[in-house]
Amino acid sequence: MSDALIATDKASVDVSGCFDMATGILDRRIFTDEEIYQEELKKIFGRAWNFVCHESQIPNPGDFMMNYIGEDEIIVVRDRQQSINVLLNSCPHRGNTVCRAELGNTKSFFCSYHGWNYDLDGRLIGMPGEDDFYRNNIDKKDWGLTPAAKVENYRGFYFATLDPEAPPLEEYLGWVGKVGIDFMLAEGDIEFLDGIHKNRLQCNWKLAVDNLYDWYHVKVSHGSAIKIGILDDAAMAPDNQMVILGEYGHGIGGPGISEEEQARYDARLASGEGEPQWYDRHAERRTSPETREMLGPVGTRSFGHPNIFPNLWIAQTNQVCLRIPRGPYETELWWFNFRRKGMSEDEQKFSAYMQNHMFGPAGVLEQDDGENWSHSTRGAKGTFSKTLPLNLSMGNKADQVSQDPSGQSCIETVINEHAQRWTYQSWQDWMAAENWPELMANHSQPPTGEV
Amino acid sequence: MSAYQDLSLQERMLLKFEAEEFLYNEADLLDSRRFDEWLNLLADDIHYWMPLRRTTQAKEVEKEFTAPGGMALFDDDKTILTMRIQRLAIGRAWAEDPPSRTRRLISNVRIDSIDEDELTVRSNFKLYRTRLNSEEDSWIGRREDTLRRSEGGFLLCRRHLFLEQTVILSQNLSSLF
Repeated sequence: MSDALIATDKASVDVSGCFDMATGILDRRIFTDEEIYQEELKKIFGRAWNFVCHESQIPNPGDFMMNYIGEDEIIVVRDRQQSINVLLNSCPHRGNTVCRAELGNTKSFFCSYHGWNYDLDGRLIGMPGEDDFYRNNIDKKDWGLTPAAKVENYRGFYFATLDPEAPPLEEYLGWVGKVGIDFMLAEGDIEFLDGIHKNRLQCNWKLAVDNLYDWYHVKVSHGSAIKIGILDDAAMAPDNQMVILGEYGHGIGGPGISEEEQARYDARLASGEGEPQWYDRHAERRTSPETREMLGPVGTRSFGHPNIFPNLWIAQTNQVCLRIPRGPYETELWWFNFRRKGMSEDEQKFSAYMQNHMFGPAGVLEQDDGENWSHSTRGAKGTFSKTLPLNLSMGNKADQVSQDPSGQSCIETVINEHAQRWTYQSWQDWMAAENWPELMANHSQPPTGEV
Repeated sequence: MSAYQDLSLQERMLLKFEAEEFLYNEADLLDSRRFDEWLNLLADDIHYWMPLRRTTQAKEVEKEFTAPGGMALFDDDKTILTMRIQRLAIGRAWAEDPPSRTRRLISNVRIDSIDEDELTVRSNFKLYRTRLNSEEDSWIGRREDTLRRSEGGFLLCRRHLFLEQTVILSQNLSSLF
């Protein structure tokens, strides 16, 4: 395919100046402006590598699931040659959807309007009246379901982009995105579980992304969860924070330990002596040489939350969450759940307990998050309130990026808003660039020195 | 067929009346925010479960709900339900502060079976909620409950909930069903 699926018009919305990296001041109209939102669908979701599924979710030929790229419905399906295809769910005849189920197994996708029928790779196989009504005057090879421009996977995680000019997936992920995914594989192979928790919030998708890096809100937003003992306050580690920033807006933010603490942990592990620390639960998963090699010396010490830009949060609970835009004021959260192959029954039970009780609409953490994000979105709607700046200055110009000889780098500090600033800065880069070559040439490089 | 079908009309009416009285009273406790009293109606071994639901092809409708033991919206024992209630009382449970206003309508009550001291009761529910000045949600579904006779009356020892939504259209499920 040679032409971009998403044609961006030149006269696009100018969002330069919406975020000032020097001060951390953000224009809150980016959460409610309809024009900006429409531009995001084209310039961000239309261009990015979007997470579509894990290979274990559709293991057999004909297995499919529905997903979205921006607001466009896609079918993710495994074909008879075992390839995973990503197809726009829209019949080229009248635009009807050809798949209405969220998941399942099928031999083909049959349009319920007039009966055009598509193979698992999207090829148009046939339609009623090809001889009699079309008089064999239609070239079926031109009228298949439109596939994503590219589909690639990193260690079983499948991503798709609608833009043929997008760089290869691994180049897009960079070391930060790859380490984020490697976090999930630190203990070995994983398989996704049946069931995605899905619900709809009245918030802008970026507020839900911003929050995944936010370790400042925990004590207040989740005060009740801490008090009832389901959330461990010490493990929030407000004074042991590590932030890792990657190209194109990827990042990892949250608890981490210093090289010295890592050495102390290793010594304790070797000797069997010494007091347990808050980070043991994380560190004990990363003791094998293979894991340390995979994560690298900095990645091994980070226990934070990765985000694959734009909207894939990798949580510490054997879950990943997509924040799917549904209009400027609405976002769908999709919690995908997985387990490590070979987990003991007790480990599986504990994992499912966390998956079912922390996040999702009934989760004791996320109930309160949704309320806050929705009201933050509401706060960007008022005629006067939307003109007022938002403050994202925490820790600005107060920290240093340290460069490891391995090439990995990070900021080791206290609770901060570095990763949120990086997200909005990168968002602005994506919105300013007219196409992938421009974005590749002009995007912000992860900072060095003082941040 | 269960023994229930072998009972006389009068016996069935009495049993159904007892079950309805329990269900209406229990709903009223939740609507009235008398959560601690509601907790007292739960058996210690209660299983409170709401599986995930998906849109499937008609030929694969057996995939509609996630399986027991798998991913779920609620998969609670008494400890978790108690935590949910405690959370409301100790502050900073923002999804319920200010508190929601709720009203539960329970209908189509049918007794499925009786087994010694336990009754299995099916019912339909509508839970209507408003929050703040303009937020409105409603959930409709069916329940399969098991009620156990104890000294102080019935205790709820199993509640399986099947909601008529796939994507949950509310921003949370902070109410109990």
